[in-house]
Amino acid sequence: MIRQAATVGREGTPAVRAYAPVLLAVALVALLPLRYGDSRSMMGVVIGGVLFACYTIGFNVIFGSTGQLFLCTGALAGLGGYASAILSERHGLPMVLAMLLASLVAAAAGGLLSWIAVSRSLGVIFTGIVTLTFALAFQNLLLGQRDLTGGETGLVVDAGSETLLGEEVAPFYVFVALLAAYLALFRALQRSHFGWAFRALRDDEIAAELAGVDVKRYRVFAGTLGSGMIGLAGALYAHSEGFISPSTFSFGEVDVLVIVMLAFGGIGSLLGPVVGAAAFTVLEEWMDSFNEYRLIIYGSVILVLFLALPRGVVPTVQRLVGRLRRRRARGRRPAPAAQPPVDTLAPR
Amino acid sequence: MRAVVFDGVVLGLQFGLLGVGLTLVYGLAGVLNLAQGQLAVLGAIVAALRIDAGTAVIPAVLAGVAVAGTVGLVLDLTLMRPVYRRRGEDRVLLGLLLMLGVAFIIDGVLVWRYPIEALTLRIGGDPVDILGVRMRTGSLLASAIALGVGAVLVLFLRYATTGKAVRSVIQDEEGAQLCGVSPATVRAFVFALSGALAALVAVTRSMTSPVTVNAGIDFTILALIVAVVGGLGSVSGAFLAGILLGIVNTVSAHYIGTYVTTIILLGAAAVTIVLRPSGLLGAGRE
Repeated sequence: MIRQAATVGREGTPAVRAYAPVLLAVALVALLPLRYGDSRSMMGVVIGGVLFACYTIGFNVIFGSTGQLFLCTGALAGLGGYASAILSERHGLPMVLAMLLASLVAAAAGGLLSWIAVSRSLGVIFTGIVTLTFALAFQNLLLGQRDLTGGETGLVVDAGSETLLGEEVAPFYVFVALLAAYLALFRALQRSHFGWAFRALRDDEIAAELAGVDVKRYRVFAGTLGSGMIGLAGALYAHSEGFISPSTFSFGEVDVLVIVMLAFGGIGSLLGPVVGAAAFTVLEEWMDSFNEYRLIIYGSVILVLFLALPRGVVPTVQRLVGRLRRRRARGRRPAPAAQPPVDTLAPR
Repeated sequence: MRAVVFDGVVLGLQFGLLGVGLTLVYGLAGVLNLAQGQLAVLGAIVAALRIDAGTAVIPAVLAGVAVAGTVGLVLDLTLMRPVYRRRGEDRVLLGLLLMLGVAFIIDGVLVWRYPIEALTLRIGGDPVDILGVRMRTGSLLASAIALGVGAVLVLFLRYATTGKAVRSVIQDEEGAQLCGVSPATVRAFVFALSGALAALVAVTRSMTSPVTVNAGIDFTILALIVAVVGGLGSVSGAFLAGILLGIVNTVSAHYIGTYVTTIILLGAAAVTIVLRPSGLLGAGRE
């Protein structure tokens, strides 16, 4: 059933139109060095934003698509970062190979967590707590295993310094390429039978199961894939930054931001992570000059945003556009209203 | 060995009291109060400021507890209203995010205004022998308060009319409403209660070690773990889980080492959740 439906495509949208938002978003991001390319510190901020967009897409695959609340994005990224750093620095593996192996490690860890959650059929909160305990334990391991991870002082990662990643602007484009790949992958998932299954199981798990969707398999798949994506982004960051420490990947530094970015942009939507990452990167940068009130401003912004836009920016805008389009269509001829484009995996 | 276990029980009773507030609010309102630890610290800092200003200890502590309780009440009456209009996962997620925002604001205000404030209550008196273990008066008083409050809570929920109303809303919101119980009133009451309980934990904790401005996040995480291991919505479960985790904590800290301890503690929590998703004494699945 699902496979048949998939061949028709997402409401029959041609590939060009389906991938246009990806191209547009990536093109806009890629233009950023025109404005900030001459400042090393601003480029660092921009790279941070793209990195978080990548994390958030990975988290979106797991949480947005299949409703598994993984509170260990930071830990998965850290697993990727540290594994890649240790493999390349200590064991002399080539950087790219180390990064790939590291993302496999993260994928395996995330897949295992997902498998545990699914096979014990844990709810949202319980999945959240189990993954949170994993994240906290991982943080403690980083601090404790001093000879391997350097403990609190962190780890210098040299392997990237003599490649592309050691240059001024080039690392930015590597991150943009990663972002483009992740967005394209997400869109491809949405258009494939995975997207149909994800939508079905988010809407009504039992109904999906009855319709023949193997809910468990899709959940574990999303957990594994998303974790691998997060791990790869973490590994890339470790090599481009040249230094990692436990706080680079701590819950407070990564997870909180990723959740807020996704919820702001729109859970389950394609461009939500990019919009969210952009908004909060700008906010962070702007708040830098008000360091004392940083937390207060942050908290207030979160409250205001979620009270005003509980669905997130992208779905809200899409609904507005859809409504406008329908109104215009009705104005021209009194035909049945066109369906608004369904761009989210989890329409609510 | 006995001394270590006793220390674990002392610690565990605090953990339990911490989990109770969270567990009640979740069981009742479906809101995971991520600002629980920040409310605790808020209460502690208010008490510390009153003490600095020359107020006697007991009124100062009561003031701290009252402030935290009031903030809990105000949160329920204002910010949580839109949350209660939602159902299921939507409610959980919005409640969680809004409370995260609240946690940031409380943390931010406290760290900004009183960066070095901390509450330390020194309880005088000689150590007391209990079953051959010399226990500090501070630990004993802290445990007595935790036990007393826990017992009062359990009795209150079982026998008092308001307590029964609370339990009825936890079991079935609509059914309770049909019987003339107002879920909104009960929720407001429990939110205030959980704020006050959080502040009380910070106070008892300060009898054995100082409670600093930035302790909020640690309190919150502990409360979460205890509440979930005990079974969300179960008061006695929270205490049982608190005591067990407290003992695990001190025993492994004493025999193995501190950094492994945290991992063991977290592992124990994770294993419990995986083996019994409804918690040690949880009534059933969500």
